[in-house]
Amino acid sequence: MFPMLKGSTNLLLALLGGVLLALMIKLNGELARYSSALFSSWVAHGIGALAALLIVCLISTKSARHHTNSSPGKAPRWSYLGGIPGAFTVVLAGITVNSPLGLAGSLALMMVGQVIFGLLTDQRGWFGVPRRPLTRRDELVTVCVLAGSALIIFSR
Amino acid sequence: MISFILLALLNGLCIGASRAINGRLGSHIGAFPTSWWNHAVGFALLSALLLLTPGPTPALLETLHSAPLLSYAGGVIGVLFVALNSHVLPRIGTTRTAVLVISGQMVTGVLLDFHGQWHTSTLAQLAGVALIVAGIYLSRRPVKPAASLATR
Repeated sequence: MFPMLKGSTNLLLALLGGVLLALMIKLNGELARYSSALFSSWVAHGIGALAALLIVCLISTKSARHHTNSSPGKAPRWSYLGGIPGAFTVVLAGITVNSPLGLAGSLALMMVGQVIFGLLTDQRGWFGVPRRPLTRRDELVTVCVLAGSALIIFSR
Repeated sequence: MISFILLALLNGLCIGASRAINGRLGSHIGAFPTSWWNHAVGFALLSALLLLTPGPTPALLETLHSAPLLSYAGGVIGVLFVALNSHVLPRIGTTRTAVLVISGQMVTGVLLDFHGQWHTSTLAQLAGVALIVAGIYLSRRPVKPAASLATR
């Protein structure tokens, strides 16, 4: 998909993902204020499905040739179901962003949940994730980010 | 308040699970087709939930008129977000993906919450951002994206 990207560019893409996530939660939370969390999630997924379909159609001819990183074998059936926990994510975010937790508080607790999940899956290889032991540096980075995030949340 | 805290924690687990599952699919069929599956499956599930939920469902047309146009962009941003996650996760791992996404999220959250007024809390927020940036700086080290796939 992105054949020219190597090394730390993936780290930058992950950072960009975080920027997009915060914006997405903000916008979906806004939509939820005008309707409900469930309804805004439904609308967001419908619009997203259409947008993704459009993008896939536009790039399909090019990417078919450049898709060199694909894993061997067929994708397992369960791997098509990532949208199920994803759908609950928007519903839950719509609820907590409009609660006393606010945007930052919601982000803080979601981030703890994500790190717990990350530690478990990296160690045990759940969901077919490549197993990788945590290095000292990973631990230091995680502590820095968690501490910085906590500072941001509790100083509001 | 406790229930909101638990819901937000659960949300983090859902995000992690969705991202890991999509990462697996992405390594087979590519990032954007994975994003389509994610949104199509999610849309089907939410349609069912909407139909099953008792109580007043907001009138579609009413909502379409009253909500600002920009708030609909969330769905489009979501497509890019899922595609990025699916691409990155098999290459750098779940924890590092989570930590870096969180970093981007938090710093963006501070920017979105900042309304141009400086309080004492603004300094603490900046200190938090500085800690996160320091953490990201630490995480910058040579990564071998091919190795993780080869050893699978």
